[in-house]
Amino acid sequence: MNRNQVIKIGLVFAAPLIIYFLIFFIYPIYLLFKYSFTSASGAFSFINFENMIRDPILYDSLINTLYYFIGSVAVQFSAGFIAAVILNSYTGRLKNAFRSILYIPLTISPIVIALMWLIIFNPTYGPVDYMLDMNLNWLGSMNLAMPTIILANAWEYIPFVFLIIYAGLQSVPKQYYEAASIDGMSRFQTFRYITLPSIRPIMIIAFLLNSIGILQGFTLVYVLTNGGPGFSTYILSFYIYKVAFTYFNLNYASALSLLFLVIIGIYVYAILKLSSVEKYLGIKK
Amino acid sequence: MKKLDAFLLILLIIFSFFALFPIYWTVITALKVNSEIFTIPPVFFPTKITFSNFYTPGTTFGEVSQTAFGSFPWLINSTIIALASSLIGTFVIGAPAAYALTRYLKNVWFARLILFMMMIPEAAFIIPFYVIITKLNMINTWWGLILVYISFTAPLSTWLLMGFFSDIPKSVEEAASIDGLSAFSTFYKIALPMVIPGIMVSIILNFINAWNEFIYALVLTYTPFPTGAQTVPLYLTDFIVIEKSFAWGGLAAAGVIVMLPSIILGIYAQKYLVKGWTMGAVKE
Repeated sequence: MNRNQVIKIGLVFAAPLIIYFLIFFIYPIYLLFKYSFTSASGAFSFINFENMIRDPILYDSLINTLYYFIGSVAVQFSAGFIAAVILNSYTGRLKNAFRSILYIPLTISPIVIALMWLIIFNPTYGPVDYMLDMNLNWLGSMNLAMPTIILANAWEYIPFVFLIIYAGLQSVPKQYYEAASIDGMSRFQTFRYITLPSIRPIMIIAFLLNSIGILQGFTLVYVLTNGGPGFSTYILSFYIYKVAFTYFNLNYASALSLLFLVIIGIYVYAILKLSSVEKYLGIKK
Repeated sequence: MKKLDAFLLILLIIFSFFALFPIYWTVITALKVNSEIFTIPPVFFPTKITFSNFYTPGTTFGEVSQTAFGSFPWLINSTIIALASSLIGTFVIGAPAAYALTRYLKNVWFARLILFMMMIPEAAFIIPFYVIITKLNMINTWWGLILVYISFTAPLSTWLLMGFFSDIPKSVEEAASIDGLSAFSTFYKIALPMVIPGIMVSIILNFINAWNEFIYALVLTYTPFPTGAQTVPLYLTDFIVIEKSFAWGGLAAAGVIVMLPSIILGIYAQKYLVKGWTMGAVKE
């Protein structure tokens, strides 16, 4: 087969994806641009972007998104990493059972998690306040609402980081450890100079996929706090929804959506450039 | 070694406690009688078990009522929409595209495109999808949600299956082409059967994601089956809003019904998950 033929056959196989992509990705982005540059009267205008600059709720949402993002990444990545290292070092028989148990939360719908948290963190009848012997209004307080959301969200996604890193740890060749023990390396040295470098690519992949998942967050805020108290849990995705479907300002919401896409685009681009994640994933040689 | 293992075991039990406690609490709340739900101190081990939170004779079918039984019409919608979007995403779009990308169009930009499609935040697309589905006259219909859900099932399938296809030795397909099979027969008769584990994971993961999806369903549907396409997460939302402070038993029971299928499917698929997510970068 010559090169042209190869590409032709490839395009036929990929045709459903390409057609779907044009209608449900390219066209939506075109629509976002179109609405973003339309004023309330329907004329071409920059008014939506000018309004962004003077929008205090947008500033709140951006700061909250940053808080939520950094808090979530820190909690999820460190807890997932620690759990993976612990399970990997454990040599008992229950290894696979623990792996399954620690993975379960990941399969549960965010809406069910919201429901669990409403019951568990209830200040009057909930078990958490009782066990801690405190009477905290977790979701109704300015300072605690966001940490509670971060916690509830972490409960679901720690298993994601855990599973990937655990698989990475399991795939480090045994010979490396044998060589290390022949060289007389201590447990810590082995971890620092053998294990960590071996799983670096996998840690970066886990980090990338995990942080993207975190930016998707919406459900917990919608159900648990509805953005409140005040604007303390407004994150960007929730604000877009509010502007579009509560205030029915599709044009301004489109401009906010574009902003969201640009932020995520820059973030992903930076990670791809700074790390060699594409090489690890086999995208680039 | 023994000592270390004992210590690690304790840590693992603590982690497992945190992972399981919310599930345990939801399940026992669903099985408790009301007098053991609303008490101080809370009851950790219920003395009486009841199924009346799931079904009590006389409860209305298809309405948000005090028991979980009303969720049935929403469950029908969820099942059909999740199945269809998962199967279409896997067989019609994902598998052929992944095959094309690993065998024919080995282009960095195509792979990046898939990555990009997976990373798009749902919230940024609710407006265009709302506009498109309105134009297609598919608001509050199965097809409306199915078409939109393919936006995450198709890229995930493609991504997962690329890792599985690239594991097939090229010699297998070369032999097939020497035997005179066309490119399409080779794909359907040789390559596809070799990635059945990947296909299964793709179907299951897509099903779970579609089953759990919330924001698109919130924006694109507004009534349950048979008049509309509202899915079961929206039933729970209504339940939470209406019954927040009264029917915890029924609320928890509904939660159990929603989480059960995804937990079972998830455990079944876990063996292949990591390989899929990391496109084969990690082999277990």
